[in-house]
Amino acid sequence: MFRWKATAALAVAAALVLTGCSGGGSGTEGSGSADRLTLTAIIGPTSYDIGAGAEYGNRSPFFQAVFDTLLQKDSKGEIQPWLATEWTYNDAKTVLTLTLRDGVKFTDGTPLDASAVVASLERFRDGTSPQAATLAGKEFAAVDATTVTITQAAPDPSLVNLLSVAPGLIEAPSSFGNADVATNPVGSGPYVLDTASSVTGTTYNYTANPDYWNKDAVKYQNLTINVLEDPTATLNAIRAGEANGAKIADNNTISEVEGAGWTIESNELDFQGLLLLDRAGTMAPELANVKVRQAINMAFDREALLQSLQSGYGTVTEQVFPKTSVAYDESLDSTYPYDPAAAKKLLADAGYPNGFTLNMMSTPAFQQTFDLVAQQLSDIGITVNYTDPGTGNFITDMLAPKYPATWMALEQNPDWQLINFMIAPSATFNPFKYEDPKVDAYISTIQNGSQSEADTAAKELNKYIVDQAWFAPFFRVQGTFATDANTNLEFWPTNAYPSIFDFSPKN
Amino acid sequence: MLAFIVRRLLSGVVLIAVISFLAFTLLYAAGGDIARRILGENATAETVAKKTAELGLNRPLLVQYGDWLSSAVTGNLGRSWFNGELVSVSVSGRLSVTLSIVIGATLVSAILSILLGVLAARRGGVIDAGVQFLSLVGFAVPGFLIALLLVLVFAVNLGWFKATGYTPLTTSFSGWVASVVLPIVALSIGAIATVAQQVRGSVIDATSRDYVRTLRARGLSENSVIYRHVLRNAGGPALAVLAVQFVGLLGGAVIVEQIFAIPGMGQLSVRATTQGDIPVVMGLVIAFAIIVVVVNLLIDLAQAALNPKVRLS
Repeated sequence: MFRWKATAALAVAAALVLTGCSGGGSGTEGSGSADRLTLTAIIGPTSYDIGAGAEYGNRSPFFQAVFDTLLQKDSKGEIQPWLATEWTYNDAKTVLTLTLRDGVKFTDGTPLDASAVVASLERFRDGTSPQAATLAGKEFAAVDATTVTITQAAPDPSLVNLLSVAPGLIEAPSSFGNADVATNPVGSGPYVLDTASSVTGTTYNYTANPDYWNKDAVKYQNLTINVLEDPTATLNAIRAGEANGAKIADNNTISEVEGAGWTIESNELDFQGLLLLDRAGTMAPELANVKVRQAINMAFDREALLQSLQSGYGTVTEQVFPKTSVAYDESLDSTYPYDPAAAKKLLADAGYPNGFTLNMMSTPAFQQTFDLVAQQLSDIGITVNYTDPGTGNFITDMLAPKYPATWMALEQNPDWQLINFMIAPSATFNPFKYEDPKVDAYISTIQNGSQSEADTAAKELNKYIVDQAWFAPFFRVQGTFATDANTNLEFWPTNAYPSIFDFSPKN
Repeated sequence: MLAFIVRRLLSGVVLIAVISFLAFTLLYAAGGDIARRILGENATAETVAKKTAELGLNRPLLVQYGDWLSSAVTGNLGRSWFNGELVSVSVSGRLSVTLSIVIGATLVSAILSILLGVLAARRGGVIDAGVQFLSLVGFAVPGFLIALLLVLVFAVNLGWFKATGYTPLTTSFSGWVASVVLPIVALSIGAIATVAQQVRGSVIDATSRDYVRTLRARGLSENSVIYRHVLRNAGGPALAVLAVQFVGLLGGAVIVEQIFAIPGMGQLSVRATTQGDIPVVMGLVIAFAIIVVVVNLLIDLAQAALNPKVRLS
């Protein structure tokens, strides 16, 4: 009898302990209050050292938490003063002069002055962060304690924007030589990383920087970012109330996220489609004929692809410039209606009445996409011969270049970055270095012309490459972020992850 | 016994050396363009080439392995290519997390399987049939499905436990309990199914022996016969199965840690392998190999302690 009583007592005690555990260890105490903001991300930083891993996109919150950028984008995507309070170009647009905010210090107490900014910019430029090349060829100089100049050989219309993202992050030069510089960042940002309670790659805990120069911008005393790579784990964290904001990697879970009472915010930053890279026909002579490239564009039922591959979350498009660009023209999205018969006729007019074989890459992670692409091209007589390049070689082989065309998902950056990413003769995703005098002329105007001339040239460039069918975009993918009932968010339109300054408690 | 332990440890060192070379070779062959994978599509070819040189990936395989080995023997396992953390810190930090789950699951499965196995063997009839049925269910239902169901019922709906993440014991006891109970239960069910069947069979076999009849004839209580004598003899095979289960549970932790987003070695293994983070994978390979060697050695010693007929030679 006594044993049963003891057992029952133990069971009740255990139940009480466990019930008491409910939510207690979740780290979401005060969820939605100004005490703690808990977010989930789908990927962690590769290195906090800005010379090795500084990156925006899905990694931006980790860097925004501990570093400041020279300039800052607001929730509308407009550039605002931040560490730099003023910025002006010379007439030739080759020297940008920045005036720095006075009295700012890094969290180790060292001053954030012009010489520190120059050292940090040089570290980024000379390092191996993904965007290091964006500062290549630029020289930095400290004119006085609060004035920095950036000198470049030719105008770079993207420079001001770059200073509001990864290339503009400022790291304390005093930390460059630290053995743990990759995991223990020293910046001047709104938070300080608590390395003792953080687990690199998984959980990052931050506490508010007590000496931050812009305290009004910091709405939470503590910040936690949990890296959840598995969409199911993200969904479980949402349902269990273990976060205030979550990046949604799988749009198929949106209805369940909304069902949990969360609010969905979205933007569109990437397009998916075919890159018709070999426009001179050095590898696939057929692609040199614009009619063939146009026929390929007409082979795709973009609405059906969007439904099948993204459950309808996104917008069909036929242009590579994003909706936020001055070059964007909605009417261009109906240039190539889905019409296999017309596509076949174009192929016949180009001299390929029986179609041809096109070599492309495939990879198991996107097998459904590759199957649908092959099927739709097959309908107009083009046989796709796929090769799997093996793990980790997809982009390398694409840029080698080993294939005349490929499916790809690409970022739609601000205009000048986009042009140098996929259009210019030296662009990363123009591996055949294809050149067209008309395109070169537009690019030159965008770089050297007045703002209105540049805007007009960007529009004309966009129309020209759509008419010339340089690409066969299918759709822009919806980027999704969800917030709980206690959290406000203004999701900026130009980054995959929201700015940490755009979260605020509802009460 | 000392000579036995030294021999086993030396053979373990050779095993680890062979495994490390094979793992390094396989990773190198399947790695693809690591620098491009680290930097993503935004990086230019020049930046990728610079990163490749920085990581030393432009050197021959044997040179790279030699460098890694010469550092590893001094305890320097290098840094992760994908987050810059020291591999020794990555692995040791996650080892305690995984071990707390795997050891918990091993203890739970050992205790429950002995209770269920003995109960089934002694009572027979409906109870035996019930235990056998439950074992079959434990075999048949995949661990990941059990884990997902546990999350839905006990974390999402009832809110008793955490759905994701891990709270260290040093931070909060209740938080730690809330974060490990469901993963332990998810891992234990398959192990209980296996070990309970083994205990049941061994107990039935042992109770039919002459010495048991003699013990009963001498008037020993049934509990004394079973728990002091039968279990000691039946324990050997069960212990061997439990050892295999322990190693198996380390593998099972890979799935469970993914579902519960627990920062353990399983989650780290998945991430490092898919990324091609060779320094981290090598650190994990070494850690897992050491665990397996040590666990097998301990089981051999335990077998000898349980049964004097077992000779350590």
